[in-house]
This record gives sequence, structure tokens and C-alpha cells, in this order.
Amino acid sequence: MFLTVFIYLSIIAFVGLSLYKAYQFSKMPMHGRWELYPVPKEPDGKGHYGGSYYEDLEWWNKPRRVSYVGELVDMAKEMLFIKNLFVNQRRQWWICYAMHLGIYLLVLWAVMLLVGAITILSGGAVAADAGSWGALVYYVTFLSGAAGAILLAVGSIGMYLKRSFSETLNKYTTPLEYFNLFFLFVVALSGIIVWAGDIGFNYGREIMVALLTFSPIQADLALTVHILLLGAVMIYIPQTKMSHYVGKYFAFHKVLWENEPNLRNSKMERIVKEALSYKPKASWSAPHINPGAAAKKD
Amino acid sequence: MKPQDFGKPSEQLFKLDKLMPLPAPYDKPGMEPDFKELRDSWKEGYCSTLDGFVGNDTLVRPKTKEEEDEMVKKFLSGLEKLFSDETNRVYLQPLALSFEYCAKCNTCSEACHVFKASGGVEAYRPIFRSEVLRSIYRKHKQGGSLISRFIGGDIDINYETVMRLGELAYRCNLCRRCAQTCPLGLDNGLLTREIRKIFSMEMGIAPKPLHESGTVKQLETGSSTGITKEAFMDLIEFMEEDIEERTGKKYKVPVDKKGADILLVHNAGEYMAWPENPAAFTIIFEEAGLDWTLSSDMIGYDNVNYGLFYDDAQGRKIGAAQLKAAKELGVRRIVQAECGHAHKASLVSMDRIMVGEDNIPRESFLPLLADLIKKNVFKLDPTRNNFPVTLHDPCNMARMMGIIKPQREILKAIAPQFREMTPHGVNNYCCGGGSGFAIMNSFNFTDFRNKVSSRMKFKQILEAFQDSIEDVETPKYVVAPCSNCKGAIRDILAYYQATAKFNVHYGGLVELVVNAMVDLDKPFLEFLLDDEDMMF
Repeated sequence: MFLTVFIYLSIIAFVGLSLYKAYQFSKMPMHGRWELYPVPKEPDGKGHYGGSYYEDLEWWNKPRRVSYVGELVDMAKEMLFIKNLFVNQRRQWWICYAMHLGIYLLVLWAVMLLVGAITILSGGAVAADAGSWGALVYYVTFLSGAAGAILLAVGSIGMYLKRSFSETLNKYTTPLEYFNLFFLFVVALSGIIVWAGDIGFNYGREIMVALLTFSPIQADLALTVHILLLGAVMIYIPQTKMSHYVGKYFAFHKVLWENEPNLRNSKMERIVKEALSYKPKASWSAPHINPGAAAKKD
Repeated sequence: MKPQDFGKPSEQLFKLDKLMPLPAPYDKPGMEPDFKELRDSWKEGYCSTLDGFVGNDTLVRPKTKEEEDEMVKKFLSGLEKLFSDETNRVYLQPLALSFEYCAKCNTCSEACHVFKASGGVEAYRPIFRSEVLRSIYRKHKQGGSLISRFIGGDIDINYETVMRLGELAYRCNLCRRCAQTCPLGLDNGLLTREIRKIFSMEMGIAPKPLHESGTVKQLETGSSTGITKEAFMDLIEFMEEDIEERTGKKYKVPVDKKGADILLVHNAGEYMAWPENPAAFTIIFEEAGLDWTLSSDMIGYDNVNYGLFYDDAQGRKIGAAQLKAAKELGVRRIVQAECGHAHKASLVSMDRIMVGEDNIPRESFLPLLADLIKKNVFKLDPTRNNFPVTLHDPCNMARMMGIIKPQREILKAIAPQFREMTPHGVNNYCCGGGSGFAIMNSFNFTDFRNKVSSRMKFKQILEAFQDSIEDVETPKYVVAPCSNCKGAIRDILAYYQATAKFNVHYGGLVELVVNAMVDLDKPFLEFLLDDEDMMF
């Protein structure tokens, strides 16, 4: 039962710690405006060339309009394809995207394992020759798992090596950052070793069945090591800067694209009012900010 | 060089020797002045140990061990305050994001004009400065432990580290082009500004042109130019006479007109350095029949707010006072004239400090002018501007505010030979004078500005005029609708003798509009006047 409980704990830790991280950013005080154009939510094509409502005469008298579609499309491009890196640094994008695509495919793989387990628990079968549904689940699981594991392994060790051998990048890479990439590689490698003994990922569906029925997992040494490493990395990621899936939302959505004006009687005005009512208990020390303290010291 | 080398003792960490080449005609030897020699007195008194430039004239070298320790102690105390939600409420969230999540992919370097212009100097990479800050913070938090080194806290924290960082924070124009390319949406420009903030808000160290002769003077006298109310009224009178001489038209400039529709605010430096700019605004506003006024009240006539560049407290005090002056005058709206950072300070940064009736609406002059031209309010003859014209997009108006189209609509109506720089609009390069550099003239800092930070802009200007640059008979005009940018472009054109040798001129957008007005007998732009005109 240890492995079953450990997997549950690692999933809860991953989700819980990620949400806690998001909560920590969201409860920070209202920040000063620090947007940067293009802001994709600007409507009427302005999001494309970098325009804003400040291009309109008496902008505050115009109805405030936001293109949520424009924002979602840009967010999706960034999240799914790392667009900024593709546009600005194509050579690095290939290896970086391989790693990220590997992770996305492994998420799909996990979902497919769950679907497979539910199919089995419902009395169905999942195999190459188990009818259309069973075969579909089998092949999607196989393809996403195989491609995901290989891409993650290649991407993570590739980035590790790129950072090691690039004269520029290795100046800025800390031992911790090398460790993070190597950790991901080891997890992917241990998964590939387990997969080599069971190409169809039947062991994965058995684990999912055990999780759904809260029963013990049958695991040999290689699988036990892989489960422990995978769980460990899931607990570890949200506590490191690998949790940039959280940070990226805030960096783009809540800072660079938050060009919400403080219009009279708006929600933003209420937020500003509340922020202005706060009286800080500490201050900076330079003489022009705290002349009293400076005089006292003199 | 690595970030870890930053605190190591040396007379000078690095020298600039392979600057980015310039296009023709500046691709030949002897077309560019050399760097000035560094004086011994500068080395002894200030921080020349970074790159040999001294920009921060209040960053004085400590004389005793106690002073050295005190400098480090104060810096670390300020560093702590950056991460406190009591002392840095305004920027804590964006700071924490940029501080924590950088993947060091280095995409930002290629976007940085200072890094590119320097020929790729390591310390000018946007991530270098940020990584030094991270390393100091981690070492400070973890001490010299193994964990500290493992997570990247492996830098010597000493007064030399602190001093060099105080200079390095002024090797970035805060143009934020780096942030535009960051796949994680992080902002090395912000981190640079936060370093400046530690020095200013905790240690009381900031370049004199920004602080002592800038915001402090502005809060005391109303303007960093020191123009008093009486002097301001004299300048307006002089401007009225000058307009009459130039155009034959007599205008009465409205000052302190209570309840006017528009309060127009200029960068006060314009009245002294480029009076033709407020004069052109006067002609445009009067010809359009707008209900407008200038303010002669303390802090009401100068839209400058250098706090934007280095100090939150100063920025807030000035911004609040400017809005108060407008409210007391009872105007319906404030229109910002040709000053980029005033645009951002007033319309964007100060958008979180006032509510209700105190929150006077503010807008840029650009949509107003574009609207007037679109409505054919003026009789314009674009052939009067029939010479090559290019446009510089001030970072604060374009990248940080999204004002891109109006200036192009105006230029298309008045300049038949208008051509874009590459890149332009929201992807423009900074003029090199951003974040206060245009007014920082201490020691040998102007060399850094003219040869490094403005180099990319000069390259863009030359490239935009490649078809006619060596045709000295053809005047070429760079439109810079921002006082700060205009100052930086004035300096590079003078430094490289581009006006004298190749007939390249610069100026605001409104001057070009007035120059196209058919009602005027003579050109408004001085470089178009012939000798006979100049006599009158």
C-alpha cells in the first residue's frame, strides 16, 4: 500500500503546492501598472500591432472593450508552443520545446492511463486487438507515453548538455539548475527502463486501477524506483522555479497584459481605493524619504 | 567574465574595444571620436572599476573600512526591503516573478541595444545584472554555506560589488525591449529599476541630474529647470513675440484659464532648449480653436517626473502634485505634450494614486492632433515637407503605452517622403537617452551615451536615410516626439557631426505639422530657411 499512498500524496502535493504558489502571488498587494505592449486583449486589431486605448481621443469616454479571444489565442500560443522562444531564439527552441512537449504528452499519457483503467474497471479491455475503443485507448496511450518519455529524456539531457557546453549559458547556470534538468532526465530514463519491459504500458493501467480501487500496487525494483522518482519530482517541482507554469500566468496576465484603467466607478477604482487606505508599518531610510529618521541619526 | 567575478578586485572589470560597426558613411576610420581618457580623480573618488565610465555622481567611494561596511550594510538592508510587502507594495509581485523564474535562456540579450551596440560585452547582458542581484540575495540569505553555492549564491559581497552594481544599474535605458522577448514574461528592466531604487530610497544615492537637480528641485521650485512663475511668464511672452516674428501671426497664449477644457503640459526643458516646440503647439491649438490653457502654478507647467526612472516615492509625490494643480485649475482633461516619460508617468504610473474627482483624465497629444488633421481643421501642404523624414518611437509612448498609429496617420498626411526605421513601432529601439541618460552629463558618461547606448538609434537613423545620406543638399529630418529622445538625438547628431556633414536634422512632430501649414509665408523649420529669411 505504500506505493499507492505515496502516489496519492505526490499528486496532492503537486496540485496543492502549485495552488499555494498561485495563492501566494495572488494575495500580494496591488502592484503599480507595468504593462508592456503588444497587449493581445486590445480589440480591433490593436493587439497585433501593439496599439492600445490610449490611441483613442478621450479614451476614458469610450466603452472599455477587451478581446478575450485575442488574449486566449496568445496565451495558448505561448503555453502550447513557447511562441516567444520560437520567434526570438529558434535554435534553443527545438531542444526546449522537445522537453516541454514531452511533458505535455506525458500528461496526456496519464489521462489515457486513467481512461484505460476506467475502461478495465467497467468490464472492457484495452489492447491492440480489443475492439475499436480498447485499441484507440491502447494506441493513444502507447504513442503519447512513448513519444513523451523519449522527448522528455532527450530534451532534459539535451538542455543539460547545451547549458554545459555553451560558453554563455554555463556562466548563468547554477548547480541547482543543472540538478533540476538532470532530475527530470533521470525520471524519464527510469520510466523508459520500465516501459522497455512492458511496451503496451499495461503496468501503468494496473497502477491506475490500484489507485482507483485504493489497493496495493504490484511493482518490481525498476517500477518501484520509477514511482519513487516520479513522485519525488512531482513534490519537488512546485517548490522550484520549474513551477513557471504558475509564474507565467501572473507574469503575462496579471502584469504585462494588465492595462486596466482606473476609471471612475469601476472595479479597478475600488481596488485602488482599498490599496490607498493601507498604511505601511515600515519605510525606506534615505533622507528624502525619511527626513525625521535621518535628522535623529545626525 | 561571469557574474561571480563582479566583486573581485581589479582596476577595471572590462573595457569596450569592439563596438558594433556603423553603416555608411560612418563605416570608415576616423569618422567617430575616441573615448575620453579616464581621469585619476574620477578613479579615486567614484566607481570607475566597472567599465571605466562614471555615471552616478553621488556614488562616492568610501574612505574608511567603517564606511565600506556601512555601504554594504545599507545596500543589504535595502535589498531586504525590496522583498517586503510593507516597503515595496507597488512592485513586489512583478519583482518576485522576474526574480524567481528566469530560465537564463538569454533570449533577452539579442533584444538589448546596449548589449548589441557594445559588441556583446558580457556585463551588459540584461541577465548579467539580474543574476548578480540574485546571487547577492542568495548569498545574503544563506551565508557562505554549501546550500548558498548550490543555489547560486556565490558572489563576494563587498563595497566594490555594491558600487559596481550602482553603476551597472545605469547602463540600461529601462526600455524593456528585453521583456518583450522573454518567453516567461519576465522583466530585466524592472530588476534594474529595483536596483536603482535600493540605492536611491535606502542609501540616498542617485545621479544628481535625476535627484538633486531633478525631482528634489522640482518639488521645491515646481520644475527641474528651476523656472519660477515670473520666469515662466517671461518665457511665454518671449514665445508669443517669437511666433509673431516667425509667422507674422499674433497669438495670446492662455495661462491659468480656470475651467478650460484642456490643460496642456510640456516638458519645461522645451521652453529653454526647443521653444519652437511649445510655439508649434500654440499655433496648432489656437488655429484649431481649442479651449486650452497652460498653468503657471507651482509644478503645474512641467510634466517631467524623473521619479519614474529611479525612485517610487519621488515619482508619487510629483505625480500627485501635478494632478492636484490640474484639479485646482478646474480643467476637464490634461493633455501631455511631446514628452515620453511624462506620458507614462502621468497616464500609466499615476493611474493608481488618485480616485474619484481627483483622478483628472489624462491623454496624449497624439490622438488629439491626429483627429484634428483627419477632420481637415488645418490647411496643410505636404509638399512643404518634401524631404526624407523618419520617425523615432519613444519607448514610453510605444512599447509601454501602445500609442503607435496616430503619429503615423499624422506623418502620412504631412510628409510625402516618410519612411520607417527598422524595427519600429512597438519593437523600436530606445534613443539611448532613456531612463534619465539624456540629462546625465557627469564625468565621461556622455561618451557611454553617444557611443554605446545611442549607437543603435544612430545606426537606425543612418539606415533610414541610406538613399540620401551622402547627398548633403537634401535635408533629412528625424521626428522625435519626446523631449528626452530629442535631447539624445541632438547629442548623437552633434557628436558624429551628422548635421554639419550630412544635413541630418531632428525635432518634434508638431513643428513638422506647422511647417506644412499653407497660411505661413516662411518655413517653420529653421533649417529650411534661406539666409535672407534668417536675417529677419
